[in-house]
Amino acid sequence: MEIYSGENGIITLNDPRYPKSLKSIPDAPEQLYYKGTWDESLFENCLAVVGSRRMTTYGKQITEKLVSQIASAGITIVSGFMYGIDGQAHQSCLDVGGRTIAVMPCGINKICPQYHDILYRDILENNGLIISEFPPDQTSLYWMFPRRNRTVAGLSKATLVIEAGEKSGSLITADLTKKFNKKVFAVPGPLTSILSKGTSQLIKEGAEIVTCAEDVINYFKIKKIKNNNLNFNFNKNKLDDIIFQELQREPLEMDILSRKTGKSIAEISSAISMMQIKGIIRSEYGKYYVC
Amino acid sequence: MSTENIMFVKIKSATNLGLDTIGIDVEINVANRGLPVFDIVGLPSKSVSESKERIKTAIINSKIDFPTKRITINLAPADVPKEGSCYDLPMAVGLLSLMLGFNVSEDSLLFGELSLDGKVRHTRGALLLSLFAKEKGYKKIFVPKESANEAAIVQGVEVYPVEDLRQIVGHFLGKFKIVPVIYKRQPIIDKKVDFDMKEILGQEQAKRAAEIAAAGGHNFMMVGSPGSGKTMLAKALPGILPFLQEKEALEVTKIYSASGNIPPNGSIIFTSPFRNPHHTISQVGLVGGGSKPQPGEISLAHRGVLFLDEFNEFPRSILELLRQPIEDGKLTISRSQARVEYPARFILVASANPCPCGYLLHPKKSCVCSEREIKNYQKRISGPILDRIDLHVEVPVVDANDLSCSVGASPCGCPSSVVRSRVIAAREIQNKRFSEDNIFVNAEMRNEHIKKYCFLSQEVERILKQAVSNFNLSARSYFKVIKIARTIADLGEAESINVSHVAEALQYRPKQA
Repeated sequence: MEIYSGENGIITLNDPRYPKSLKSIPDAPEQLYYKGTWDESLFENCLAVVGSRRMTTYGKQITEKLVSQIASAGITIVSGFMYGIDGQAHQSCLDVGGRTIAVMPCGINKICPQYHDILYRDILENNGLIISEFPPDQTSLYWMFPRRNRTVAGLSKATLVIEAGEKSGSLITADLTKKFNKKVFAVPGPLTSILSKGTSQLIKEGAEIVTCAEDVINYFKIKKIKNNNLNFNFNKNKLDDIIFQELQREPLEMDILSRKTGKSIAEISSAISMMQIKGIIRSEYGKYYVC
Repeated sequence: MSTENIMFVKIKSATNLGLDTIGIDVEINVANRGLPVFDIVGLPSKSVSESKERIKTAIINSKIDFPTKRITINLAPADVPKEGSCYDLPMAVGLLSLMLGFNVSEDSLLFGELSLDGKVRHTRGALLLSLFAKEKGYKKIFVPKESANEAAIVQGVEVYPVEDLRQIVGHFLGKFKIVPVIYKRQPIIDKKVDFDMKEILGQEQAKRAAEIAAAGGHNFMMVGSPGSGKTMLAKALPGILPFLQEKEALEVTKIYSASGNIPPNGSIIFTSPFRNPHHTISQVGLVGGGSKPQPGEISLAHRGVLFLDEFNEFPRSILELLRQPIEDGKLTISRSQARVEYPARFILVASANPCPCGYLLHPKKSCVCSEREIKNYQKRISGPILDRIDLHVEVPVVDANDLSCSVGASPCGCPSSVVRSRVIAAREIQNKRFSEDNIFVNAEMRNEHIKKYCFLSQEVERILKQAVSNFNLSARSYFKVIKIARTIADLGEAESINVSHVAEALQYRPKQA
């Protein structure tokens, strides 16, 4: 199966084009196989975005929000192509026209997980890169995942962790980032969630709390290239306002919204549809949340 | 050979093949010459051949002499396979007419199964027989007493209830008269519904979707964790469906009569059927079949609800069978011996878990399925099937705390009877609208009907166009949204479809993929 027929190749450790940031880490990969157009500017400002595979609605919401703004500022998003936060990070970056690097836990000709094939194609079509230190047709094995994480951390100036459980792969990436003397950012989450345990622990250990995209963008010392703050000019009628305020607090199901506002499902549904069409709110697994 | 030795008579009866009825001549010959034997010819099946023993014993037990002569019975036309026990009565009466010397008039149809003691038993298909009698101009039909009310649904045919052999013989000998039954239309009793809508707490969106489904005849799918109330909601659905109209009721009763599902002394069925087959059902069980094709669950659910619980657990090969009937509202079963068409216009109600463990949407319990398992689970239902389901809702688990505080408060919602009255009002609007078209409900609208009856203002069309691009709607989904919006407008007794109707309809599109 050939889904990409463009440029691909191999960059060895001695090649002048080899990313400097990755070269500086101990035990840097001997070679990088890649697909896509190798553009050295891609490696200038890289942020690793990692997190749990079992992304919650909150995780999705935060990833969409932070990554879209960070990517709009011209920062390359590096991640591991896994489903969950990783995949969402790539996707949110592509949604705002940003560039992203996927570091595969297998050869670059393999797509792991397989059903991410559309994401794989989109990354390449949007001037992104698929890279791996493993031979192109290698399938993924357990020991390769930590190696992959090392590359993700090595390529980036900093690592942003969104939702991580205890003893998760995301914590391995965070630890490596610290070991490489790079910055670790962590997004706080509700303490009731098991997916906040990892991030809370990171914050305790001195990772920087991220509450808005600027926290990360400022670290990169670059000016925002384009302002992508989505301001909608619409005539907020009252019900829209109430729904918006409720959803700003937490993602909710339609039934709960109906109970809280005292409006019928018919009214709530049609208000929500209009807000969705305008791109103000989104839904996942039956819950609605503010973009 | 003298003419007295030839004893021959022809009695009229009929057989049902699917929902069609074929006239059968029962020819009986009793010859004085030859050894005493009793033969039935004309492609009898096992149950027909066995009727020899029933007839012989029933006659003897009715204290009538059984002739020790050569008896030959032919069921004509001889090339149509005969099945069932309904020929017992015509054969026995024909034989006795030769022995006791009475006449059965040409305009009579006889039909019924004998018991060994001479009684006549409830036999399936009596309604179809009387419809046939009316069509072909037979004046009188003799049917088992317990099936008589069912047969008498048809006006213009005299239905004689037969209790036992002695009684019918006495009638023909002129000793006394059997009085034709007068059709007793049983009062429409609301079948006891398992759940009332007001018993279901929370689930406002799902209840609203159920109301729309009932009003417009839309197929309906619920996805939710175990214990969220999907099954309860589906079982409450019959309580909000309107009663069948005369024409629909006759269609349904015919199917139930043909399949032997009408109880003794039963009458026409006015309540919508509700069928709830288990997911281990076979292909024939679902769509019908057999060498003499019987209706399956989809036909028994005609003009009612087919509820498939645990939708993902049904084998894919079985679910794919639903595709054509959902489109066409009928199914033709072709077998070597017969080709039968059964109607199957039902509301499909499906319920499914979001993932194999069931807790993907659960607020408290965490799901233990991997992404791949979830994908594979959801993939079990094919796109074409999902595409034929109009309303999709996610049914969240209701928090026990929420429940206790809301008892008595508004979240309980309307009782079924109130919802039903709204549904009936919406159906009446639809009846008026489709009086010239051969359809009943909005869900049956084809593109031509949509063009004719669903005028969209410029503003509505603009919103729809935006939705198509924002939500990636397919062409089929686009029309589905319009159909649902039409039903929502009908429920609100609105003449034209406005923006809020369309906007609400958009919330019921499938969320995945």
